[in-house]
Amino acid sequence: MTAYPAHSVTDLIGGALLTPATAAALRDRIAPVDPPAKTVLDERQLAVLAAVAARLVPQPDRPTPIDLAARLHRRLADGKGDGWRYADQPADAELVARGLDALAAAGFAGRDGAGQDELLRNVQAGGADWPGISSARWFEEVLAGVVDLYYSHPLAQEEIGYAGMADARGWQDVGFGARAAHEPEPVA
Amino acid sequence: MSLDPVDAVVIGTGAGGAPLLARLAAAGLKVVALEAGRHWTPGDDFATDEVAQSKLFWTDERLSAGGNPINFGKNNSGIGVGGSTLHYTAYTPRPQPTDFRLREQFGVGVDWPLSYDDLAPYYAEIEAFLGVSGPADYPWGPPRPAYPLAPLPLNGAAQLMQRACADLGIRTAPAANAALSGSWWQPGYGWRPACTNRGFCQAGCSTGAKASMDVTYLPFAVAHGAQIRAESYVTELPTDAAGRLTGAVYVKDGVTHYQTAAHVFLCAGAVETPRLLLLNRLANASGQVGKNFMAHTGMQVWGTFDQMIRPYKGIPGGLISEDTNRPADADFAGGYLLQSIGVMPVTYAGEVARGRGLWGDALTAHMREYNHVAGINILGDCLPYAGNELTLSDEIDGRGLPKPLVTFTAGDNEKRLTAHAEKIMRRIWDAAGGHDVWSYDRYAHTIGTARMGTDPAASVVDPDGRAHDVPNLTICDNSVFPSALAANPALTIMALSLRTADRFLARGARGEA
Repeated sequence: MTAYPAHSVTDLIGGALLTPATAAALRDRIAPVDPPAKTVLDERQLAVLAAVAARLVPQPDRPTPIDLAARLHRRLADGKGDGWRYADQPADAELVARGLDALAAAGFAGRDGAGQDELLRNVQAGGADWPGISSARWFEEVLAGVVDLYYSHPLAQEEIGYAGMADARGWQDVGFGARAAHEPEPVA
Repeated sequence: MSLDPVDAVVIGTGAGGAPLLARLAAAGLKVVALEAGRHWTPGDDFATDEVAQSKLFWTDERLSAGGNPINFGKNNSGIGVGGSTLHYTAYTPRPQPTDFRLREQFGVGVDWPLSYDDLAPYYAEIEAFLGVSGPADYPWGPPRPAYPLAPLPLNGAAQLMQRACADLGIRTAPAANAALSGSWWQPGYGWRPACTNRGFCQAGCSTGAKASMDVTYLPFAVAHGAQIRAESYVTELPTDAAGRLTGAVYVKDGVTHYQTAAHVFLCAGAVETPRLLLLNRLANASGQVGKNFMAHTGMQVWGTFDQMIRPYKGIPGGLISEDTNRPADADFAGGYLLQSIGVMPVTYAGEVARGRGLWGDALTAHMREYNHVAGINILGDCLPYAGNELTLSDEIDGRGLPKPLVTFTAGDNEKRLTAHAEKIMRRIWDAAGGHDVWSYDRYAHTIGTARMGTDPAASVVDPDGRAHDVPNLTICDNSVFPSALAANPALTIMALSLRTADRFLARGARGEA
């Protein structure tokens, strides 16, 4: 499995390789998110969401995991969606909350990791009979949400060796295998 | 508050509205453009960050239904001065002449009431105005002038595809892209610099190298006296007793304004244009407003390679093949083009999540190979079907208006075309040494919904873009396309825009309405 050195992105912030707009966006992204003023998930739902997010995007090597549940809650509460939703599903916040309630009722929190995965696989396949919502679409929306939040975080971008944020000078050579000095190389 | 009358008000500043705004202003008309979004200063405002740049996407909620619900937002319509050209990939292939003649050739769909030859002079004019980069000798279709600038450099994905296609006997060429391979003098704007290969076209160009409308036709229009009002959201198109439009009502900073105008040009895209027509009960004697919704077949096939690709660099769509425009072994009508693609990580991760359903260790392990990923994409035709349409839902959005409901189900033709394309794309990536090859079935662009035609009973606008039922309403954007065409739409929308303006001006010169 390919791995990259730590700090390849965070070291760029504040340097000459990032435009001010990009550096500001990354600083903002790294900062912890405040809870929304008006919550759309209660404490119990948030706890289930955190447990689900840990199965969807495991972060075993990170001392402090990126708090995906808090970030998704904030996004849902802000009500700024991605421009569309499945017509047969309720609004995003309601969809997410209902699925979390159903998982709680199925004893999600009390299961071990393998048991949680088994339950989630059934949810993903649309096998869970949830009144008024499709478990498959719930799963797709929650997965797309946490994946978007995770891979837009500079620390996750370090994990995959992404250097595209280094925009101030652009790229001289874009061809096959070309590498600029500030593009990370995999470590053994 | 009623504002002094103008000759024309243009609603929308994207590929449909901007070129005609420039043409009308240059002809000496008093013109005003209304744009729902902000007027950005890209160098200061645009971050190289996908989430920060979601501000360029139209994110008022749309409801998606049918067998292949369309993902709006990211790929399918923009907001801001420049419209969706702010986030188009700059890929500007011309359609082929037979693309306009699907019914004649295959007996399905509908033919355009105008031909490739009607648009060819406009394609050439636009390519020369924007500074399109492309090959001197384009291998497919009727002869065309050499592109004004040399092709952009090929990135890793393009080079991989080029080698594999050469081995398989598939012709390729560097693609035409409306991004600069050399610096370019843009009338009305100034010097635009050569592309820095930042690779971020789909989330906003920060340098002006990409020919979005805000650095090309719009400053040209303003230099000729046009006014652009940003953050002006049109809610109403009032009519007089004779059924003529009197102008446009819009909301800016919470205040309602009324711009009176002799003519209205509606250029808001294939979702907002029919939505405004339906909200205002306009131009719909045919019952065709909102019908015939199409979306390009747009399957992507991704592979993971031993070599380093670093797919975030360079113009994303570097290479093209049109050998598949009319494949000899086709079991479908129409055809498609092949395009190499780079990709940004959040977009790719989203596709892996939604399209492949990967999660847990399988997801994070796959994403650790991001730098080894390269893609091929098709852009193929799509037929209109009864039931694929836009209607107004009974849900109200934040502006107090009904949300649009778009129903889309791919037909057998789209499925057969996509299956044909998937086989070829997989062969190419197999030949290139790809492993873990997977396909993401998607439909891109919003097309149709205010069809152009000669029969007022079966179409919304005439071949000049004039609404059959409303004498001083003209529509110009991808909503008027009678068929989807096997090419990315922006160049053809711009060509229609200039032609629509020329036809309008010619009528004025003849003293017609």
